[in-house]
Amino acid sequence: MKRGHLVWLAVLVLVLAYPVIFLESPVYQRMGALVLLAAIGASAWNIVGGYAGQVSVGHAVFFGIGAYASVTGFAHFELPPIAGAPVGMALSVGLAALIGVPTLRLSGHYFSMATIAVGELVRVLSSTSDWLGGAQGLGGPTMPRTVMDLSFLTALPYYYIFLAVLAALLGITWWMEQSRMGFYLRAIKDSERAARSLGVSAGRYKLYAYMLSAAFTSLAGSLYLCITGFVDPESGFGILISVKMLVMAALGGAGQLFGPLVGALILVPLEELSNSLLGGKGAGITFMVYGAIIVIVARFLPSGLLSLFAGRPKAAAPQSKPVSGHAD
Amino acid sequence: MIKTSRRTLATGAALIALGFAADAAAQQAVKIGAIYPLSGNSASAGNYEKMAIEMGADIINNGNAELAKVMPLAKGGGLPGLKGAKIQMVFADNQGTPAAGQSQALRLITEEKVAALIGSYQSGITLTTSAVAEKYGVPFVNPESVAANLTERGFKWFFRVTPVAADFAKAYSAFLKEQKAAGQKVNSIALVHENTEYGNSVASVIADVFAKDGLSVTMKVAYSANSTDVQPQVLQLKEKNPDVAIFVSYTADAILYAKTMKELNWKPAILIADDGGFNDPAFVKAMGSVTEGLISRSVFAPGKPGSVAAICDALYKKKTNGDGLDDVSARALQAFFVLADALNRAGSTEPAKIQAALKATDIKPDQLVAGYDGVKFNDKGQNVLASTLITQIRKGQYVSVWPKARATDPLVLPYKGW
Amino acid sequence: MSILQPVLQVLTSAAFWQVVVGGLMLGAVYALFSSGLTLIWGMMNVVNFAHGDFVMLGMYTAVVVWTSLGGGPWASVPIAAIAIATVGVISYFLLVRHIMRGPMLAQILGTFGLALFLRYGALWAFGANFKTLPDNLVGHSFVLAGLRFEGARVLAGMMGLVITVLLHLILTRTSVGSRMLAVSEDATAAQLMGIRPQRMQALAWALAGASTGIAGALIATFFYTSPTVGETLAIVAFVTVALGGFGSVLGALVAGLLIGLVESLSAFLIGPVWKDVIVYVLFVLVLWFRPQGLMGKA
Repeated sequence: MKRGHLVWLAVLVLVLAYPVIFLESPVYQRMGALVLLAAIGASAWNIVGGYAGQVSVGHAVFFGIGAYASVTGFAHFELPPIAGAPVGMALSVGLAALIGVPTLRLSGHYFSMATIAVGELVRVLSSTSDWLGGAQGLGGPTMPRTVMDLSFLTALPYYYIFLAVLAALLGITWWMEQSRMGFYLRAIKDSERAARSLGVSAGRYKLYAYMLSAAFTSLAGSLYLCITGFVDPESGFGILISVKMLVMAALGGAGQLFGPLVGALILVPLEELSNSLLGGKGAGITFMVYGAIIVIVARFLPSGLLSLFAGRPKAAAPQSKPVSGHAD
Repeated sequence: MIKTSRRTLATGAALIALGFAADAAAQQAVKIGAIYPLSGNSASAGNYEKMAIEMGADIINNGNAELAKVMPLAKGGGLPGLKGAKIQMVFADNQGTPAAGQSQALRLITEEKVAALIGSYQSGITLTTSAVAEKYGVPFVNPESVAANLTERGFKWFFRVTPVAADFAKAYSAFLKEQKAAGQKVNSIALVHENTEYGNSVASVIADVFAKDGLSVTMKVAYSANSTDVQPQVLQLKEKNPDVAIFVSYTADAILYAKTMKELNWKPAILIADDGGFNDPAFVKAMGSVTEGLISRSVFAPGKPGSVAAICDALYKKKTNGDGLDDVSARALQAFFVLADALNRAGSTEPAKIQAALKATDIKPDQLVAGYDGVKFNDKGQNVLASTLITQIRKGQYVSVWPKARATDPLVLPYKGW
Repeated sequence: MSILQPVLQVLTSAAFWQVVVGGLMLGAVYALFSSGLTLIWGMMNVVNFAHGDFVMLGMYTAVVVWTSLGGGPWASVPIAAIAIATVGVISYFLLVRHIMRGPMLAQILGTFGLALFLRYGALWAFGANFKTLPDNLVGHSFVLAGLRFEGARVLAGMMGLVITVLLHLILTRTSVGSRMLAVSEDATAAQLMGIRPQRMQALAWALAGASTGIAGALIATFFYTSPTVGETLAIVAFVTVALGGFGSVLGALVAGLLIGLVESLSAFLIGPVWKDVIVYVLFVLVLWFRPQGLMGKA
C-alpha cells in the first residue's frame, strides 16, 4: 500500500473510533457530533456558495425550515422530530426555487444582500406565527418516547448519524463535482458570460445547485433540532446561522470537497473550548479570539486553509468589477 | 498528521488536567455551576446576575456579621451542614444560544462534576440546559425564567423560584382594580410589548387575566425588539391617549420609549413598565430623572434597614460600584440562597439528597432577599409562594408602594415624568 | 367620498405628519451611517461586514469623550471622526489591502472576523451595560408648525444630509475625488497615470471612517450604546446601500430617506411588527425590477 493510502486509512479509523476513544468524556463526544453537524451545514452551503460561487448569506432560511418542520411535527402531530426532515427538505427545495428564480439573476454582492433580506424577512415572519410557537419558540420531546425520537443521553449515536449524513452529502457533492453539472458550475463561477456564450444554461444550473444546497441545509436544521430539542426564531433563522456556514466553508476552502469540514474542525472546537476555558470570565474574550483567528486566516490564506496543501496558490485573479447588479 | 493531531489532543488534555489540579487545591468545596448569558444581547443582565451570585457565595464562605444577625447561613465558614464546606461557583457563558447553553451544562455536569446547576436567564436556554440536568439527574434551580411551560414538562430535578407571568398579571390586575375603587380612571388600557419571547408571553398573559377580571385592554401594540425608532408607536398612544399604559420591553427599547415620550410630550395618568428593561440599573441611571412616578413590578425593594434585603442591597452596591440590587439580580441571589439552604440541609452533595432537601424547602419571608411570601415548591417544582411587589420611581430610585403590607412609601398618582 | 374620508382623516391628523417628519429624520440618519459603507463598497467592491461595529466604536468614542473627558458634542464629533478614520486606515493597511483582490468570500470572512473582534473588544473594554449620554444642549426639542422636533435627531439628520452631499462633491468635483474614482474604475490604468492606488484607497477608508465616526457620535446623542448595537444598525445599512445602488452616495441618501419613511409609516398605519417585513419586501422587489439599485449605474 502506498503511504498516502495508509494516511487515509488511519484518518478513517480515527474518525470512526473517535467517540469510542472519548467514551469517558461526553463533552468531547458532543464536540465531535457538533463538528459533524456544522460540517453538514457548511458543506451544504458549499454547493451553491463554493462551487457555484453564489455567496448566500441567507441559508438560515433553509436551516430554520428544517428545524421547524421537525419541531412542529412533534408539537402538533406528536411525530418523532426526524419525521419532519423530509417535509422540511421538500419545503426548502420549493422555497429555494421560489427565492432562486428572482435572486440568482443578481450578481455578486447584490445576491448576498438579497439573501440577507429574505433571511431577515423569514425570521421576522416566523416570530409572528403562533403555530410556530411565535417568538417563544418550540421544544422537542423532553424525554425520549421511543428510539425514533433520537433523544439520547450521550452524543455517541448523534455522532454516527451525523457522520453518515455527512458522508452521503460529501459523496453527492463529489459526484456532482465530477459530473457535467460540476463542470458547468466551474465555468459559471469563472465567467458567467463565457459560460453562457458556450451555451451553458447558467441560470438553470445555479438554481439546481441552490435547490440541492437548500435540501441538505434543511436536513442539517432537522438534525440540529434532534440534538438541541428546541428552536426559536433566532436560533433557527438568525443571520448568525447563515454567516457561520459561510465562515466555516470559507475558512477551510470554499468550492473544495473537504473545505467546510476543515473549517468546522477548527472553528467548532475553538468555539467550544475557548468558551469552556474563558467564557465564565464573562468578558467576551471567546469571540475576540474567534474573530482574530478568522481575520488572520482571511489575511494570509484568502482561499482557505486547504490552499496550504494545494501547492502554490493561484495568483489572485483580478476581480472583474461588476458595473451593474445584473449577472454578467 | 495523526501524530500532530494526537499531540494537540494530548496537550489539550494536559491543559485541562492542569485546570483540574488547580481546582483540587480547593478541596472540600461544593461546586455549583451557573450558566448565564455573559456575551451576546443579554450580556448586561447575565453579568448582573453573575455578580449577585458571586456575592452570595462570598457571604456563605466568608460571612457577614450584620447579615448573620438575621440570616443563619451568613455566619461564614461555608455550609455547616456539610462540615464547613465552602461553595465554589463555576460560571459558564451560554452566549445567548440554546446549543451553547447545552454544551456548557454538559461540561459542568460531566467534567466539573457540579452538585447542582443554576441558570440560565432566557427561557429557551433554560429549557435546553435543564433538559441536560434532568437526563443526568442533577438538581437545577432556575431563578428567573418565566415561560409557563418550563414547569409543565414533568421534570423531577427542576425547581423554579421566580413568580411567573400569571403572577405578575394578577398583581397588576389587583393593583389597578384598587386604583379604580379609589377613583382613578382605568377605562382604557394600552398594552405595548416587544415581540420576542419575553414581551409576547407576558403580554398575552396580562391580556388574558385582565379580560377575566373585567379590565379592558383597548389597544395592543406589538413591536420588534431593538428598534431604531419608536416614535410611531408613541404617536399612536398619544392620539388614543389611554388612561393606563403598560410597557413590556427590554432595556434598549425602554430607553428609547422613555426618551421619545419626553420628546413628544405624552404621559398617561398611570404608566406601568413591566420590569424588564425599565428595571435595568442602566435604565434607572440614564432615565430615572425623566420618569418620576413610573410604576414597575419587581421582586425586590430594599425595605427596612437591617432586613436581609437592605443589607444585601448595600453589599451589592459596594460590589458593583453603585448599582443596587434590581429585580433580576435579586432573583438570582435569592435562588442561590435557596440552593445553598438546600445543600446545607441535605448535608451531602449526593443529587438525590439535594433534590429531597429542595423539595422540603420552606423559607419564611423575613429570611428572603426577594419580596416573596416565602419559598416552597410544589410537585412541578414551582415556588408556590412567589409573588411580586409593585414599585414606583421616586427621585431616580425604585421604592415599594404595593401591596400595602410591604409598601415603604405611599403611591403617588398621576405619573409625573419629567 | 366615503372611501376617501378615512384617508383624508389620516392625512389631516397632526400625528400623521409627525410620523412623516420623524421618518424622514430617521431616514437621514440611516443615510448618514450608510455613507461610509457605500463609499467603500463602490470604491473597492468590498462589503465591510464590520461597518456596524465601526459605528458602534464611534458611539463609544462619544460616550468616553462626553462622560470621562467632560467634552460635549462639539468635542466628541471631531474626535470620533479622527478615531474611526484611524481605525479605518489601520484596517485597510493590515487587512483590507490584502483581501480586496481575493475572492469575495475572503472579504466577507475577513471583515466578519474584524466585526467580531471589535464587538467583543468593546464588550471587554466597556462592559455589557447599556450606556446613554446625559441630557444636554442638543437633547431638547422644539415645536414648529405644530410638529415637535427632537434637537438631537434634527442635528443628526442635518449632518447626514451635509456629509452625504459633501462626500458626493468630494468624489465628483475635486481632483482627489476624480483620482479616487479613477482608481476604483481601473487601478492599473490609474497607476500608469501616476496615481498611487494604495494611497487613494487608504484615503477612501479614512473618509469612510470619518463619516462613520461622525455618524456614531451623533447617533449616540439620542440612541443607547452597547457592544452589540452595531448588529442592529448594520443590516439597515446594508439594505440602505444596496437599495440605493452601491457606490452611489446620493443613492444611499434617497434609499435612507425612503426606508425611514416606509418604516415609520408602516409602523404607524399597519403595526410596528410589520415595518421590517415591509422594508425587506420593498427591497427585494426593487432588486427584482432594478437589480442595480435605485441609483446604481446600469
